[in-house]
Amino acid sequence: MLDIQHVSKSFGRVAQPVLDDFSLTAAEGEFVSLIGPSGCGKTTLLRIVAGLLPATSGDVTVAGVPSVGPSRDKAVVFQHFNLFPWRTTLANAAYGLEIQNVPKQEREERAMRWLRMLGLEKYAHHYPGEISGGMRQRVGIARALAIEPKLLLMDEPFGALDALTREHLQGELQKIAEQTSLTILFVTHSIDEAVYLSDRIVVMGTHPGRIIREFAVDLRRPRYDYNFRAEPEYAQIRGEIWGMLERELAEDEERSDAAEDTTPMETPA
Amino acid sequence: MISARTLRDPTMLRIGSVVAVLVLWEVLGRLDPIVASYPTAIVAAFVELAFVDNTLWPAFATTLQGLVVGFAISSVLGVAIGFAMGRIRLVDLILDPYVSALYATPRIALVPLLVLWVGIDFELRVTIVVLSSIFPIIINTYIGAKSVDRELLDTGRAFAANGWQMLTTVVVPASIPYLFAGLRIGVARALVGIIVAEMTAAVTGTGQLIIQYGRFFQTDKLFVPVIILGLFSIVLAEVVYFLQRRATPWANVERIR
Ligand SMILES: Nc1ncnc2c1ncn2[C@@H]1O[C@H](COP(=O)(O)OP(=O)(O)OP(=O)(O)O)[C@@H](O)[C@H]1O
Ligand SMILES: [Mg+2]
Repeated sequence: MLDIQHVSKSFGRVAQPVLDDFSLTAAEGEFVSLIGPSGCGKTTLLRIVAGLLPATSGDVTVAGVPSVGPSRDKAVVFQHFNLFPWRTTLANAAYGLEIQNVPKQEREERAMRWLRMLGLEKYAHHYPGEISGGMRQRVGIARALAIEPKLLLMDEPFGALDALTREHLQGELQKIAEQTSLTILFVTHSIDEAVYLSDRIVVMGTHPGRIIREFAVDLRRPRYDYNFRAEPEYAQIRGEIWGMLERELAEDEERSDAAEDTTPMETPA
Repeated sequence: MISARTLRDPTMLRIGSVVAVLVLWEVLGRLDPIVASYPTAIVAAFVELAFVDNTLWPAFATTLQGLVVGFAISSVLGVAIGFAMGRIRLVDLILDPYVSALYATPRIALVPLLVLWVGIDFELRVTIVVLSSIFPIIINTYIGAKSVDRELLDTGRAFAANGWQMLTTVVVPASIPYLFAGLRIGVARALVGIIVAEMTAAVTGTGQLIIQYGRFFQTDKLFVPVIILGLFSIVLAEVVYFLQRRATPWANVERIR
């Protein structure tokens, strides 16, 4: 479904690539999380997959089609929601369909279905400035789902929310993932969130951004109706990822110290 | 003494201040009516000009006509040029030198030249209004188009919006506050421009009325168009402000955060 092959990305004159030979595939319906230290290139990767940023080299294929720009197969949920402040909840949720020239009545009906599912029907005619952060992100999710994409790209979608709202939306996302055949690529900083939601967790290292290891999460689904945190597998995966990220951070520091010694010679004119 | 209550409800204070100034003006103005005139004489002059010899309204209508037509042209053109320059690099490169140069040129300096080109009538008024108001509109719209939140541009692109859709669904709505700032500056400049043009070149209009009363030391009459223009500029600003609130209902909602 999603096939990322040997993707590398460098910005401008900076010698070291942000992403180096990154390859990852995801099957239809699979929930894959990306976790890694800040600055390792998660957002960059997501933007490349979304078609918002060209890769320096490598290929991305979505549903068998080369992904070179934005398309209606893919939808993005942003960390800072990115709702249009001049559009009501309903008009925001219907945005993607409007871009696809779906007639007004049909697109509002389709958007409304998702708003109802996410418990927002009462706020359909409110502006983003009138609803809470948790509601705003639900609008962001409704907007992405309304175009019925095959691939959903989420960049720390719950990172800006409080713990309670976050947990609630994680549950809702899981239900949606269950009911659809959506493939989801999910960026997060939270190991707990990754374990809760994912079929597979990809741990990334930094400088350059690359995959260190992948974990399959075999915890029974659905995970919202039992205490998955009490399972031994939860503790084990959590511990392993923690250790891995800590080692990565320490090694990265050593690498950058070593690099610093040689910086004067490498500085481009 | 000013009590705490008066400060909380400043209406009385404002009225009091206006009354005090009017009284003072009345007393001092009577000492030398040619220099300053005084409020009661100005009211009498207003009644005469407005209702007896009927010179005020035709002059005002002439000015208003030029203002409305000129400002309509410069709003439409200015907004279109501003967005074109803000979104299309080629247009920006081609037009920028002219916009920058003309924005800084005092438009009044062009009046004698314009008289040669378009005469001293309606066309002169429209031209000077356009030249006075279009540049702040262009420049503010341009800045608005340039300062659209990058994340919102990304959002439009992520949903595969084409160039035209990006403009209509993201850039234009995001620029509306800037656009209206341009219109507000533009309308004030337009009024100044048309009055000065009428004072220097035209033979009719409100500006010419001011010149004539000044020339014949009819100070009380001179104050009538001046005060009318002052009130009129307040009305214009309010109209633009009203339109802005109507155009941006989302900006009026109470913020929760
Ligand atoms: N447009 C750009 N120009 C130059 N460098 C960039 C650009 N965008 C990102 N980078 C660099 O690429 C690296 C990866 O950035 P990216 O935003 O992908 O990290 P991230 O993994 O999403 O981090 P975080 O977890 O903090 O969101 C960073 O070092 C960043 O400085
Ligand atoms: Mg990021």
